[in-house]
Amino acid sequence: MIRLRQLTKRYGSTTAVSDLSFDVSPGVVTGFLGPNGAGKTTTMRMILGLDAPTSGTATVRGRRYADLPWPMREVGALLDARAVHPRRSVLGHLLCLARSNRIPRGRVEEVIGLVGLSRIADRPAGALSLGMSQRLGIAAALLGDPAVLVFDEPVNGLDPEGVRWIRGLMRDLAAEGRTVLVSSHLMSEMALTADHLVVIGRGRLLADTGLDAFVRPGPRDTVLVRTADAGELAHRLREAGAAVRQEAEDTLVVTGMAGPEVGKVAMVHGVVLHELTPHRTSLEEAYMELTRTSVEFGGPEGER
Amino acid sequence: MTAAGLADVLRAEWTKFRTIRATVGTLAGAFAAAVCYGVLFGSANGRAYLAAAPGDQAAFDPMETAFRAHMLAQLLVSAVGVLTVTSEYAAGTMPASVTAVPRRGRLLAGKAAVVALVMLPCGPLIALGSFLTSQAMLAARGAPSLALTDPGVPGALAGAGLYLVLIGLYGVAMGFLLRRTAGAVALGSFLLLLPAMAPILPGRAAEWVLTYWPTTAGARLFTSGPLSGDLPAEAGLAVLTATVLAMLLAALALFRTRDV
Repeated sequence: MIRLRQLTKRYGSTTAVSDLSFDVSPGVVTGFLGPNGAGKTTTMRMILGLDAPTSGTATVRGRRYADLPWPMREVGALLDARAVHPRRSVLGHLLCLARSNRIPRGRVEEVIGLVGLSRIADRPAGALSLGMSQRLGIAAALLGDPAVLVFDEPVNGLDPEGVRWIRGLMRDLAAEGRTVLVSSHLMSEMALTADHLVVIGRGRLLADTGLDAFVRPGPRDTVLVRTADAGELAHRLREAGAAVRQEAEDTLVVTGMAGPEVGKVAMVHGVVLHELTPHRTSLEEAYMELTRTSVEFGGPEGER
Repeated sequence: MTAAGLADVLRAEWTKFRTIRATVGTLAGAFAAAVCYGVLFGSANGRAYLAAAPGDQAAFDPMETAFRAHMLAQLLVSAVGVLTVTSEYAAGTMPASVTAVPRRGRLLAGKAAVVALVMLPCGPLIALGSFLTSQAMLAARGAPSLALTDPGVPGALAGAGLYLVLIGLYGVAMGFLLRRTAGAVALGSFLLLLPAMAPILPGRAAEWVLTYWPTTAGARLFTSGPLSGDLPAEAGLAVLTATVLAMLLAALALFRTRDV
């Protein structure tokens, strides 16, 4: 598992990551979500020991990354799939990494097969399409059969087939009991892959919650009601404790009361309804709401 | 099997070294340069010998010609060292390499060791290329020349080979310090060739550079004469070695503290 405690990274006066604490548990896919520039990549680079935190700690299975005796056998990482030497072959690229952690050549070939690159193992890595590069990056992450996996925006720029393949892979890896941390700036993507969400904005933690809890019926949910008798119904609903906004002459938007209750109030007072539509906040809306707030109020220290 | 060790890093770095054409090609270029410039220096100095006055002819030392080409080939050897490091920064693979080997001292040591191990046989080979071609051309012109078995020659060849091992490490340090191929090769070459500018420096400075500049000091392993100072060979080796070590330590300090 991955554990972050008060993790902070400053570049001069800019704070990229601020006082970030959360755990990433095994057995589930944890989506690491935030708008571009929120500090996701910087956080992942600190987990992997590439960037030194200004303060705070990031540990993997209880150790700092740099103290892991066999880093690639414990943590697999995909940061930038295009980061390959263009003239080196697919096999050569993976061999260079495998050797440093005494991973046998047989495993390298096995992983190449696993990601479906066997036929082009001798091709220069620079000649691969983005989708193929992504597969190569994932092969590199899987080389050491690690229990912890960290993927930075793995589906960026992939075609639908590639996206589906990566989604399936993430879920399979988590189902095998591994710890999987996947970053994305797209809620729609995480909605399909993640079980757990960690949302950051401007380097700060905004939410650390299960996917279903993220969209639990809440105060933002609304019910849209259409009736010829909008004035009367609005009055009765307010009496019953709901907040009502009149959208049009015959349309009300009700917050703070669920659909069935709204219908009940209408029946009791003999109001004929033309339409009653509960509107549950979508993941996307919840996410937008959350990050918009962070954009408006999150940066008093002049963060980017 | 307690932890990934230096031997594993060394194998990985060797795989990196041999799977990049730029490093291998530059190394081959160093050998080619030694041979080609050996021919040119040999025939030019042979002609100069024939045109010289009898007194100058008597003072002619073929050893002075033997490693002129070697001193040019060193630029490419330094570039080999640079490339083992900067090719990673250029391709963006340094983060992956550091993730695979997070103990950065070990990663730096692995790269340095591969360059040293490669130059251990290649250094003397390049020296041999420079020596054999230049002496053959001198002989062809009828100027005095040296054979491999002449006194002092085996030692000079070994010294010239060792010199290139250190220059390769110098390149590695430059690569870590500057991280960009162009910058590291340009500055690295400028500093290696600085003694060539000695004639335009004021007398005391020129004398100091010719005596103590690490390349001329180190070249005392295989040259004598006007283009090198009068340090004993051991002292010259010590100056060059200490310089390269200091640069590697500075590179290590930077590499350890900098974000990748």
